[in-house]
Amino acid sequence: MSRAAIRYLGSYLGASLVLIAAALQIGCGAKGERPIVIASVSDVSSLDPHLLDVNHPTGSVIWSLFDSLVRRGPDGADLPRLAESWERRDDLSWRFHLRHGVKFQDGSPFTAADVKFSFDRMNQTPFSALQQLWPQTTLNEVRVIDDYTVELVTEKPSVTMLYWLEEAFIAPKAYYLAHDAAYLNTHPLGSGPYKLKEWVPGDHVSLTANAEYFNGAPALKDVIFKVVPDLSARLNGLATGDIDLALELTPDTIAQANGPHSRGEEVMGLRKLHFGIAQHSKLAALRDARVRQALNYAIDVPTMIKTLMHGDTTPLTSVVNPPNADATLTPYRYDPARARALLAAAGYADGFDLDIDFTPFWGQDKDVSETVAGYLQAVGIRPHLHADEWNDFRRKLSDASFDGLFYAGWAALINPSVELVIFTCQQEDNASGYCDPKYDALVHAAGTEYDPAKRKALTDAAQKIAWDQAFWLFLWRAPLYAGLSNRIDYALRPDDYVEIYLAKPRP
Amino acid sequence: MLRFTLAKLARTLSVLLGVSFLTFMVGHASGDPVLLMVRGDATAQQKADLRHVLGLDKPVLEQYVSYLAHAVQGDLGNSYRQRVSVSSLIALRLPNSLELAGTAFAVAISLGFALGVVAALNRGRLADHAIAGVAVIGQVVPGFWLGLMLVLLFAVHWPLLPVSGYGDLAHLVLPAITLALPPLGRMARLVRAGMLEVLSSDFIRTARAKGLPERQVLLGHAMKNGLLPLLTQAGLELGDMVGSAFIIESVFAWPGIGRLTVNAVQQRDFLVVQGCVLVTAIGFVLINLLVDLLYAAIDPRVRARA
Repeated sequence: MSRAAIRYLGSYLGASLVLIAAALQIGCGAKGERPIVIASVSDVSSLDPHLLDVNHPTGSVIWSLFDSLVRRGPDGADLPRLAESWERRDDLSWRFHLRHGVKFQDGSPFTAADVKFSFDRMNQTPFSALQQLWPQTTLNEVRVIDDYTVELVTEKPSVTMLYWLEEAFIAPKAYYLAHDAAYLNTHPLGSGPYKLKEWVPGDHVSLTANAEYFNGAPALKDVIFKVVPDLSARLNGLATGDIDLALELTPDTIAQANGPHSRGEEVMGLRKLHFGIAQHSKLAALRDARVRQALNYAIDVPTMIKTLMHGDTTPLTSVVNPPNADATLTPYRYDPARARALLAAAGYADGFDLDIDFTPFWGQDKDVSETVAGYLQAVGIRPHLHADEWNDFRRKLSDASFDGLFYAGWAALINPSVELVIFTCQQEDNASGYCDPKYDALVHAAGTEYDPAKRKALTDAAQKIAWDQAFWLFLWRAPLYAGLSNRIDYALRPDDYVEIYLAKPRP
Repeated sequence: MLRFTLAKLARTLSVLLGVSFLTFMVGHASGDPVLLMVRGDATAQQKADLRHVLGLDKPVLEQYVSYLAHAVQGDLGNSYRQRVSVSSLIALRLPNSLELAGTAFAVAISLGFALGVVAALNRGRLADHAIAGVAVIGQVVPGFWLGLMLVLLFAVHWPLLPVSGYGDLAHLVLPAITLALPPLGRMARLVRAGMLEVLSSDFIRTARAKGLPERQVLLGHAMKNGLLPLLTQAGLELGDMVGSAFIIESVFAWPGIGRLTVNAVQQRDFLVVQGCVLVTAIGFVLINLLVDLLYAAIDPRVRARA
C-alpha cells in the first residue's frame, strides 16, 4: 500500500474521529442548575384537569398545575386547599368557604363561579366517563351562594363527598369557555404551584414554579416529568445523577438505587394484590364459600412474600386498607389439610378444573400465578394458567366474564366506603360478580351514615362478610419502590401521586 | 423510463393501501379502545356515549373509508390516549428519528466503507483481522444489549455521555453508534470483498502498469467499480434501520417514531400505531422506489426487463 493511499485513508478516519471527539466534548460541557427530573414508565394522557385518569403520572402533573377545594393527605386526611373550611348543613347539603385572593396563572381571580363551572363540566361527555364526582356522591346541584361560598346539594347522604372533591380540580371559567377541547388538552391554566413550560407528548412535561402561588412558590423551581420506559435506563439515570426521582422500580432492583448520588426508598402502597374469584362463571364450585376458603387455606402467603417480594410486605387482612381495616381480622393461615377437608365437605374431594388468568399490568403476574397454581395443585385442584393480553383482560373485567381466578391489584383507595362498594350487586366494576343483599345493605347504610362510630361498625361488619366468605384469594399489599437522588428530599405517598411541590432541595 | 416509473408508483400505492387496511383491521380486532379510556366503574351509558363521540359505533369498513379519506388530507385522527392529533405526534417525532437514523446511516456507510478499504489493502495483516473482529461483533451482538453495555461503560462507569434522552449532540453519540454498528460491520465486509475482487482484476494491473499514482488507481478505478454493489446494500440497510430504531429508541429513551410506535402498541392506542405504521411504510417504499429508479437509471438492462 502506497504512502499516498495511507495518508488519504488516514485523513478520512481522522475526520470521523474528530467529529466523535467534538460530540464528546459537548457532552462534558457545563451543566449549571439542572431541573429536577422525575422518571416514570409512561406519559401523562392529558393536561385537561377533568380528563385525569390515573394517579401517576397524569394525576401528579394535574395536582401540580391545578388546585382542588380539598387536598388529600398521604394518610387520607381531608385538608383545606382552595376551600379554607367547610361544613355540612344537613344530610344533603355541604357548604364550602373559598380562599380569598387566589389568582389563576393568567392573573384572573378565583371565585365560586369557577367552581360551579368546573364541576358542571365534569358531568359532561367526555369528562363524565372519567370523573366520578357526580355519580359517586349523588351530586345534584352546585349552587353559588356568593363569590366565596359554594353549596353542593346531593340526592342522598354522601360520606365520600370530600374524597371525590380531592380529585375535582378547578379550572378558570373564562379561559376554558374561550378555547376548544383540543387546545385545552395541551394548554392547561390553573392556580396550582407549578405552571406548564412545555409538553412534548411521549417524552416529557416540564413545569416551572408559580411564584404567585397562594401557599408560596414551591422550593424546586424547575421540574421535568420524563418518560423513561426502560427500567435499567431509570436506574442508570439515577446512578449518573441525570434522574432525581426514579419511579416504578421493582423489589429485585431497589438495592441498585443505592449509590454515591442516590438512595432507594420504599413505602407500603395501597394496592391490594389478590385473585378475584368469578361468581358469574359456569364453575359452580366458586359460588360455594367453603371452596373459596379452601383456596385461601391452600396457599402459603408468608412464604410467597419471602420468596417473591423479598419479605417487603405483609399478608392482607381485609379488602379495606388500614387504618380503616377491621383490626380483629387475621390472615388465613397455610393449612392444606383444612383446604382438602373444606373441598371434600363442599363435594369436591376430587378437585376441579380451574382457570387462572393473569396479565402483566400489576407486575410479577406470571410468578405469582404459577406459584399459586402449584399450591392449588397440591390440594387436588387442576389449575389452567392463561396469560391474557391487557386489552383482553380489561374486557373480561368490564364484562365480568372471567371463568375462574384472575390476578389483580386494586387501585389506591383510602376511603372504606369507596373500597367496599365494589362488591355490591349493581356496581359497574364488580368484576367478580358478587351479589349478597345482606352485604349490600351494610355497605349502602355505611355510605350514608355520617356518624363515624356507627359507620365504622357497619364497614367492619361488611369487611367481616368479605373476609369470612373469602371474596378474594387474598395476597398482600404492593410496596412502592423509588430511587431518589441526593439533590432532593421527598416523602413518597402510598397512593402513587407525586406531590413534587412538597419536595425540598438537600443542603 | 416514464412507463417504468409509473408502474413502480402504482405498485407502491397498492402496497400502502394494503398496509393501511391490514393495520386498521388488526387494530380493530385487538379490542375496544373505549375500555382503555374510561375508569373501571364507568357505566355502560358513559361508554356508549364515548363510543358514539369517537365514531366507533359505525361499521368497521365505514370507519376505514372515512379514515382513509381523512388520511390522504394529512389528518390521521386523534390519539385515543392523549387526545392530540396523530399527525402532530408524528411531526414531532419524525425529525428526531431521521436525525438518529441519518447519523447512524452516514457513520455506517462512511466508516464501513473506509474500514472495508483498509482491510482489503491490508489483507491477512493485523488491521484486517481487527476490522473483521469489529464487523463480526457488530453483526452478532443484539442492539439492545450493546446499547445497555455502551451506556454502562460510557455513561455510568465513565460519565462521559448522557445515559439517555434527546438533547445536544452528546445525546446522539451512543444511540447512533449502537444503531450504526451492525450495518457498519456488514458494509465493511462487503466493501472488503468487493475491493479484493476489483484489485485483483486486469484493469487495475493495467492502471498500475501505466504508472498511475496509487491514489488515482484506488479512487479513480478501484472504488468506482467497487461502489455498485454498495448501492443495493445501502438501500437494504436503510430499511433495516427502521426496524432496529424501534428497539434502540426505547433503550435510549430517544423520542423518535420507533418509540412512539412501541408505546402506542403497549397502550393500545390504535390510531397512533396506524399512523406510525403508515408513515414508516411510506418511508420504506420510497427508499425501495428510489433504489429501483436509481438502478434503472444506472443499468439499462433493468429498464428493459420491466
